[in-house]
Amino acid sequence: MRKVVAIAMAFIVFSVGFHFAYEKSKLLNESRCLGCIALLPKASAFKGFWVEYPTFFHKKGSPALPDWLINESRQHVIMLFFWYKGCDPCKAQWDDMVKAGIVVGSEENGKMAANYSNVSLITIDIVNDERANLLKIFTPAKSTPSTPTTVILFTTNQTYWYAFSGKADGKAGRPSIEQLKEIIREAIEWHASARA
Amino acid sequence: MACFGSCLTCPVAYSVLTMAAIGARRIYKKPIQKKRLVSQLIFLFITNAAFIFGVTGLIYSYFYCWEAPQATMSCPIGILEHAVLESSIFLAIYLVGTIATIGTIFGRAPCGWACPIGFLQDLVGKIKVEREIKRSRVDKRARYIKYAILAAIPFAVHYFATMAYTDICPIGGLTATLPILLFHYSSYTPTKFFLPKMILLALTIVLIINVKRGWCRYLCPVGAMLAPFNKISALQLTFNEEKCLKCMNCARVCPMKIDLPYDTKSMECIRCGMCVDECPTKALKLEFKWR
Repeated sequence: MRKVVAIAMAFIVFSVGFHFAYEKSKLLNESRCLGCIALLPKASAFKGFWVEYPTFFHKKGSPALPDWLINESRQHVIMLFFWYKGCDPCKAQWDDMVKAGIVVGSEENGKMAANYSNVSLITIDIVNDERANLLKIFTPAKSTPSTPTTVILFTTNQTYWYAFSGKADGKAGRPSIEQLKEIIREAIEWHASARA
Repeated sequence: MACFGSCLTCPVAYSVLTMAAIGARRIYKKPIQKKRLVSQLIFLFITNAAFIFGVTGLIYSYFYCWEAPQATMSCPIGILEHAVLESSIFLAIYLVGTIATIGTIFGRAPCGWACPIGFLQDLVGKIKVEREIKRSRVDKRARYIKYAILAAIPFAVHYFATMAYTDICPIGGLTATLPILLFHYSSYTPTKFFLPKMILLALTIVLIINVKRGWCRYLCPVGAMLAPFNKISALQLTFNEEKCLKCMNCARVCPMKIDLPYDTKSMECIRCGMCVDECPTKALKLEFKWR
């Protein structure tokens, strides 16, 4: 009888956990932490902002850019940073951006540094943030949505953007942290001249 | 990796068939072992069948990487790490509930009947049987390493604030890193953890070739989670001493080298049933005892 009671108690614990944590477990399972398996995705080198999906991206199955993002990107240049807790390359990328004076604070409550006050930073924890499905938009066709992904985006007459996944280490198409600063600067200038 | 819509081009189908062919030829000749082969093949398929079942939020009760290309469920160690990282009590409850439910019913049987890594060890463990280690004192002490690893994981995760175990997990290297590189080798570059992961994977392969169920015995933290449930589980290995001839065939064939036929509630027993198959008088039985 004790065994049956033990099984019943274990099942109750399981049921409580299942009720409250199944969705979170599923989200975690769907999130690809490539850094956790020691891989970083290659990226396309920056050769100017994109207005349409480049050839290595596919729009099929991706949600469209939401209105709030387009509206906000008319006002400011947006930097999107997709991350989640425990993602080693996300932490490394964030720390590098802090060191380079691009952002301040932590991933959860981060802001752009004073030099970039006219850029709006949106950090999206892909496990806990409802806006996580945006990541699909910025994922190349032959890759899976992965963290960290950094996106620079602004809207003038149309939406311009550039995205890369992985750490900004200057390897495999990914920009270096200095190149990232240059990309942000170029976006700010372009956006400001268009508004003027 | 997606489903190609044809079994002829499906890597999962090839891995299942290859392991089935090797398994059927090598060690799965006795009645319980034949059932175990079927069970291991079914679980190998279910484990990698996201192209059919989709990605679920269920948790494996054995060791498998959720970053594997077609993983259907979540890795128990990954859930443990996230529970610590995000201070998520419900993730911890979900993990404990899953392991406890499976554990109280089956004990450590998932290691013997479901785990694809256990299946792999059953197959490769036959390559060099003659090197089976005899150093029983070393063997017994080394078995505590897995408990130490399990206990250390939450502290390491909290201290480094990263997926400290996953970063260097050799099973993740085997089931996720290598398959992803194999199919999309041109799309990725390695991180600083790639080399340590591959070195640990190579050492693990050396271990499992030389020591039967070496991963389960010494290193598997999921095995360490399930092990205590062997004492109270419904599925038990029972021993009738009156029937025993003291031939010790059971001790000879046991892949976990537990002290058979007496230590039937050993935390190391994976309920594989090899001893039951070998017993000439059926003194050992694998049966459910609900009381």
